[in-house]
Amino acid sequence: MSIRRLTELALLSSAALIMFVIELRIPNPFPIPGVKLGLANIVTVYAVFRYRPSETAMIVTVRLLLGAMFSGNPSALLYSAAGAVCCLLGMLLLRKFLPEQQIWLCSVAGAMLHNIGQITAAVIIMRGFGVIAYLPLLLVTGSLAGLFTGLCAQFLLNRLNR
Amino acid sequence: MKNRRILIAAAGIFLVSACLSVWILRRSEKQTVEIVQDGKVLDTFDLRRTADREIRVPAADGGYNLITIANGTVCISEADCPDQTCVKMGTLKSDYLPIVCLPHRLIVRFAEDTP
Repeated sequence: MSIRRLTELALLSSAALIMFVIELRIPNPFPIPGVKLGLANIVTVYAVFRYRPSETAMIVTVRLLLGAMFSGNPSALLYSAAGAVCCLLGMLLLRKFLPEQQIWLCSVAGAMLHNIGQITAAVIIMRGFGVIAYLPLLLVTGSLAGLFTGLCAQFLLNRLNR
Repeated sequence: MKNRRILIAAAGIFLVSACLSVWILRRSEKQTVEIVQDGKVLDTFDLRRTADREIRVPAADGGYNLITIANGTVCISEADCPDQTCVKMGTLKSDYLPIVCLPHRLIVRFAEDTP
């Protein structure tokens, strides 16, 4: 990997981390476990469309691990990691079908997959299906959040293309 | 054409979840509450017949949750986890939406009433 590429990836990772930390400071209007705006996903969606899958995976891994450290909530790592893996795999697959003008749709689908991954992890860790009831709520809030971050990434790409 | 199908699928999932969410958020008629940790039921009580009290539930990682029963409602009033989501959720209202503390693997939920 060239130094230039490495620097770009490092820059994107730190941008994602900064957004993640800023988001921690925003009070959450929905007191439901797992509901988040997921601003850092803007970087992930952007990277899915502009970088190789392995490079995107690197950005996401760095953000997950450092994010868990910065938030001081390492137990949340399992849930967010399960969500992120589902989200990333799904978006890399959708990347093949979707043109760059539909990045927002990729983001919405990714957010839904993230929620499904989260709940799957919660079912396994909590050893009970009780938490599945959260899935519809998470899917609704998640797809709206995914739409927002997706549109952010869309505008970002449109500007960069000019 | 494929992206239109993805769009329709996403919209479909969104609508179905929105309907399910409304259904899930209905208030419960039940009065029996159980406290579950790690898949094991720790305590079961009837809200109508229980005196106001506090239950301290220790977690495997050394932390704790304080469950408060007052005026026929139950809530987690205190927890030493960083995210505090279970405290912010307030009182237990819905059948399908238990109060969950993910870091401590704790669930407070309604159970079938026993006559």
